[in-house]
Amino acid sequence: MSPQQRAAELMQLRRMRIVSLIEGSTLLLLLLVAVPLKHLAGIFVATRIMGPVHGLAFLAYTWMLIQTVSGGGWSRSQTLRLVIAALIPCGAFINERALARRQAMLEAAC
Amino acid sequence: MDYLWLKALHVAAVLVWVGGLSAAAFAAASKGSADEPGRIALLEGVRHWDQRVTSPALLIVWGAGLTLAVQGAWFPAPWLIIKLAIVLLLSALHGILSGTLRRLAHPDAASPPSWLHHAPVLIVGGVIAIVLLVVVKPL
Repeated sequence: MSPQQRAAELMQLRRMRIVSLIEGSTLLLLLLVAVPLKHLAGIFVATRIMGPVHGLAFLAYTWMLIQTVSGGGWSRSQTLRLVIAALIPCGAFINERALARRQAMLEAAC
Repeated sequence: MDYLWLKALHVAAVLVWVGGLSAAAFAAASKGSADEPGRIALLEGVRHWDQRVTSPALLIVWGAGLTLAVQGAWFPAPWLIIKLAIVLLLSALHGILSGTLRRLAHPDAASPPSWLHHAPVLIVGGVIAIVLLVVVKPL
């Protein structure tokens, strides 16, 4: 892998990690703050805001995952693991760790 | 936000997105080796445009589009569901093209999958179907 290729890959991994954290955080905010506020305090506006915000974050996360994997360098099993984790609740945090490990490996190879 | 302003924002973002998506598709589908003069520069240019303009436009397309659908109470009209499915497929195609461009912009990159050569046709077909569904609302 050339230095420019490695730099582009590292940048992509950093962006993907950020989007993973955003997706996971919006889900936690939705489930742990907005939904209890709706059902326990009757504050409906919280879910009305957090629902679409999380939906958009999930779309961005899935799209970035497709983009990251299409860039190449991922085995079938790694890709399958990323896709499965993307579909389970809070799986974005699992993927973020996997991406961090791959980033550390690439940085160590510099 | 006013419905018409939001609709204008959505349509503007769609035009920018489809233009960028077509450029990415033609660049990825074009035949040529990495050592051809100017090819890497072209791929890099399209990739930068994709990162800075086309991808943010996609986010606006989705954000404004879903808000319009909710504000206009269009759910669950069949034409909208079919349109959403087509937009999802085009968005996934955009993600694949975007990743492929990142890969192709390097001299030792493998050639893209052969089905990607049909990406421009898929985009044109998808856009025609979307316009028909939105304007005529046949279902």
